[in-house]
Amino acid sequence: MAANPHIAARRRRNVLLYVASAVILVVWAFPILWAVLVSLKSETEVLAYPPRAIFEPTLRNYVDALVGGFSILKSFTTSFIISTATTVLTILFAVPAAYAFARLRLPGKRTIGFYTLVTQMIPPVGLVIPYFLILNRIGWLDTYQGMVTVFLTFSLPFAIWLMVSYMEDIPKEMEEAAFLDKANRFQALWHIILPQVRGGIAVTVIFVFLNAWNEFLFAVQLGGNKVRPVTVAMYNFVSVEQTLWAKLAAAALIAMLPMIVIGIAAQKQIVKGLTVGAVKGGGRR
Amino acid sequence: MSGEEGRVSLKGIRKKFGSFEALKGIDLQIGPREFFALLGPSGSGKSTTLRVIAGLEPPDDGTMTVDGVDVTYASPGERNIAMVFQSYALYPHMTLAENIGFPLKMDKVPKAEIPGLVRAAAEKVKIDHLLERRPGQLSGGQQQRCALARAIVRQPRLFLLDEPLSNLDAQLRLETRIELKRLHSGMDVTTIYVTHDQEEAMTIADRMAIFRDGEIIQIGTPDEVFNRPDNMDVAGFIGSPPMNLLPATLSDGGVLVSRRRVADAAGYEASASDVVLGIRPSHLRLASDGLPARLLLSENLGESMLLNVEVDGEIVKVRLPEVRHLKLGEELHLAFDPEHIHLFDPTTRRRIDRARGQHQL
Repeated sequence: MAANPHIAARRRRNVLLYVASAVILVVWAFPILWAVLVSLKSETEVLAYPPRAIFEPTLRNYVDALVGGFSILKSFTTSFIISTATTVLTILFAVPAAYAFARLRLPGKRTIGFYTLVTQMIPPVGLVIPYFLILNRIGWLDTYQGMVTVFLTFSLPFAIWLMVSYMEDIPKEMEEAAFLDKANRFQALWHIILPQVRGGIAVTVIFVFLNAWNEFLFAVQLGGNKVRPVTVAMYNFVSVEQTLWAKLAAAALIAMLPMIVIGIAAQKQIVKGLTVGAVKGGGRR
Repeated sequence: MSGEEGRVSLKGIRKKFGSFEALKGIDLQIGPREFFALLGPSGSGKSTTLRVIAGLEPPDDGTMTVDGVDVTYASPGERNIAMVFQSYALYPHMTLAENIGFPLKMDKVPKAEIPGLVRAAAEKVKIDHLLERRPGQLSGGQQQRCALARAIVRQPRLFLLDEPLSNLDAQLRLETRIELKRLHSGMDVTTIYVTHDQEEAMTIADRMAIFRDGEIIQIGTPDEVFNRPDNMDVAGFIGSPPMNLLPATLSDGGVLVSRRRVADAAGYEASASDVVLGIRPSHLRLASDGLPARLLLSENLGESMLLNVEVDGEIVKVRLPEVRHLKLGEELHLAFDPEHIHLFDPTTRRRIDRARGQHQL
């Protein structure tokens, strides 16, 4: 029986696709896989050359990173408080702002929108010193409110613009129908718009939380001994005398954990959220 | 709802979008319980007028009253108006029951009463078996019914319909048209209906306003706009196919088309000798003597026939009451009764009337 050339071609293409995906995945995941391996070794094992594939795994590093002398638990909590506060406040402000940009007739709306976005174009490193000076002047260095306020200046413009695109996707008529049904603006936003941008809110929450959690540059400059996020705290394993690679790896993996959990939980929402509006009529959100 | 509510009046309504004048002074009086159509091609201002009535578009100038109360700048919610949108605008995240119940919830109807009212409204449009579904799980016709149910669930003072049938297939459109009429007579609520389909307006409306370029060019019953069009634009829009409009002249007391006397001109108050003669396709017939014409195309409609013929360089449509076999290019003669003609002034485009007392030959 002669093979169908179309099926053969498609099969070849599929094989190529899988090989390419596998290569990319390995490159992408290598640092994480390496960190997992390192975190399970003893500090001496880490430095063995050539690196050994077979060794006796130990959870010692995790115990040390959590409850040992360099415990990151406190920083972990700090990061969690900062990220959560940033995310909650961002959504609280960004949703009404995005609604206003998407729907209200405001004088200078385009200009305001543009300058909201412009703040994203300034290289962060140029802002570190000004922010430091400002926080220092008002006594907010090494405080939660200082850190969260600075984080909001990055997350808000981003979140507003992300939410605007989701809100603009909702037909105006749907809201007009609500107005005719005697809903006021707030009720229309609450009952009609918000339930339909749930996916968008989920995506925004994840991005904002992720950015706040990963933030290092500002955290290291504006934090201190009281407010020290986990990204900064991890540097305790790196010192002039030595670098505790295994403990650093364990700490890094622990720090990744919340993001991985949120990522998996919200995966469906993200994919849905990112593809909404790709097709006319878009389907249900 | 008591008898005399739902009287709508628009006076000098103007609306601009940037430099585009969407409405150039709309005057309208709509009576209680009337089924009133706003008819016109797209971009003529009919939908904008409906949106002004709904309160979704504040006018730049003019006033609107309902039952004598000025509501020109009242919010949509204050007007007690129900509207069915062309896209239906159903809330996709709610079930049908929640969709239909939404206006009641916003109106603070006691929670316990809502399910009963929702069911009653759904029964009226025969979707009570679908109440737990979401709009995305329904066919277009069912969605349309849901939009209707949401509109009739409370007792609105005005019922607005924006091209409600345009997203339905032809068969369903005819059925729904009848149903709308039935619903209207059952509800006794003033209904304003926007459509670009003149046949729809003719069959469903008590009266209609015909729009063109942001103005109303005629208001009247289907009978009036069909049998006595005020101007060439109405004549060329109403009827399927619409009226034939041919260049003609008045001379020696007669109306001449292609230098042939076709009617007596006595009594027509025309200012110039050049006029436009209007004649409906169904009022033309084939005869052994009459206007010479050449057959360009014939369409067999089953029980009747539509001919496209050429008369002195003009395309003329003829509707024959029976099917006949004619050859393309065949030379024909067209005849009609003089009483069926309409005359228009080609510059003002307005109808030329006969002086009183001279209606018949």
